[in-house]
Amino acid sequence: MFADERTQRIIGILSDSFFPILKAGLYFTIPLTLITFVLGLILAFLIAIARLSNVKPLEAAARFFVWIFRGTPLLVQIFILFYGFPSIGITLNPFPAAVIAFTLNKGAYSSEIIRAAILSIPKGQWEAAYSISMTKSQAMRRVILPQAVRVSLPPLGNSFISLVKDTSLAATITVTELFQKGQQIAAVTYEPLWLYIEVAFIYLIFSTVLSFLQSKLEQRYDRMVAK
Amino acid sequence: MITLTNLQKRFGELEVLKGIDVTIEKGTTAVIIGPSGSGKTTLLRCLNLLETPDGGSISIGNHKIDFSGQKVRGADVAALRKQTGMVFQNYNLFPHLTALQNIMEGPITVLRKPKEEVRKRAMDLLEKVGLRDRADMYPHQLSGGQQQRIGIARAMAMEPAVLLFDEPTSALDPELVGEVLRVMKDLAEEGMTMAVVTHEMQFARDVSDKVIFMDQGVVAEMGTPDEVFGNTKNKRTLQFLNKLNTI
Repeated sequence: MFADERTQRIIGILSDSFFPILKAGLYFTIPLTLITFVLGLILAFLIAIARLSNVKPLEAAARFFVWIFRGTPLLVQIFILFYGFPSIGITLNPFPAAVIAFTLNKGAYSSEIIRAAILSIPKGQWEAAYSISMTKSQAMRRVILPQAVRVSLPPLGNSFISLVKDTSLAATITVTELFQKGQQIAAVTYEPLWLYIEVAFIYLIFSTVLSFLQSKLEQRYDRMVAK
Repeated sequence: MITLTNLQKRFGELEVLKGIDVTIEKGTTAVIIGPSGSGKTTLLRCLNLLETPDGGSISIGNHKIDFSGQKVRGADVAALRKQTGMVFQNYNLFPHLTALQNIMEGPITVLRKPKEEVRKRAMDLLEKVGLRDRADMYPHQLSGGQQQRIGIARAMAMEPAVLLFDEPTSALDPELVGEVLRVMKDLAEEGMTMAVVTHEMQFARDVSDKVIFMDQGVVAEMGTPDEVFGNTKNKRTLQFLNKLNTI
């Protein structure tokens, strides 16, 4: 009898909390992921171009940036920005602080993916572009990048999915995203095991949907590439 | 049309071109032959500045660049390249574009010509290389011979004064060589100015106006096909030709 009551209580808590947690995911986790991913990609592209530019100061600055953001934990970067910066007069709201921290971090990582993708395109493609009188930037835009996008899709997709999960770190700076919501409910119901399993389950749903979209996108690009 | 004067190129310590003097007249086909490592591909790549020479000069049409002095200006490079089209050993078609798009890319992006006009001309070029029905295929759907013919059409689309061929049939299966050589022969007969690095001696003999035999970074012998193949007195040419015949 006692065990039955407990099971019912847990089922009640889980079903009551499912939609609030899912909602936190849809309102914060997903927007945070999407915004950061787009901004991160733009930043990553600029860094990659800077590193390939053959302009020494630009190259050095880009390398330095990547070194800093790849070499330090994301959690520490978030804390410096949110808890540290107010002491030098820069106070950020939790959500923008999270967006900035994730963007810088993602930008640094993804820039290496993009750089590698650009470098993976055979030299003959550059030469063919030059042979029809393209300038360097025309060759980049019309010949190299379209092919590099295809090459970088799988690793960028992976990094996108890991970003979905990384956004849980925003809980540490009081953004009420998916994980934070789970924490709050766990704290009042005293059922951490089941609630965190539920949280994990909702992350799994998000990741699965995104993986599916990623594979669709890759298929679309696959048709054009010589194997 | 093309005049090379004392052209030099080195890669580090290695002198690849040791002062090349060559002229190719308008409307003629020059074939460059020679053993591997003789510098023939480097010579061809210097003509459209995929390699920058270290000395001497190149003039194509009205454009002349001197490489003995200061750094070459980008505008000069662009002007010289506009005069040339290149066909590569490995085709180097753009894999993300269809055959038709490969041909249209240069005229649209570089020359900024109207799309409809470019499409019409591209279809004419496809017709010329016998691939009109392959317009919408991607390179990986085409055979090597077909890809190379698209490569020729892509180069032609820019309306160059000179076409450069870098071993255009070397990567092809033997049965596909003929279709590419036929297209090249047609172009030669129409009066296109061409410089062809090749191992196809039959083509050199039948189609070319001038044979340039290179060995160890110099022009060892230069003349009409009859002079070079028929009764050469040059020891190195003889050695090279004999080696080819004994295979």
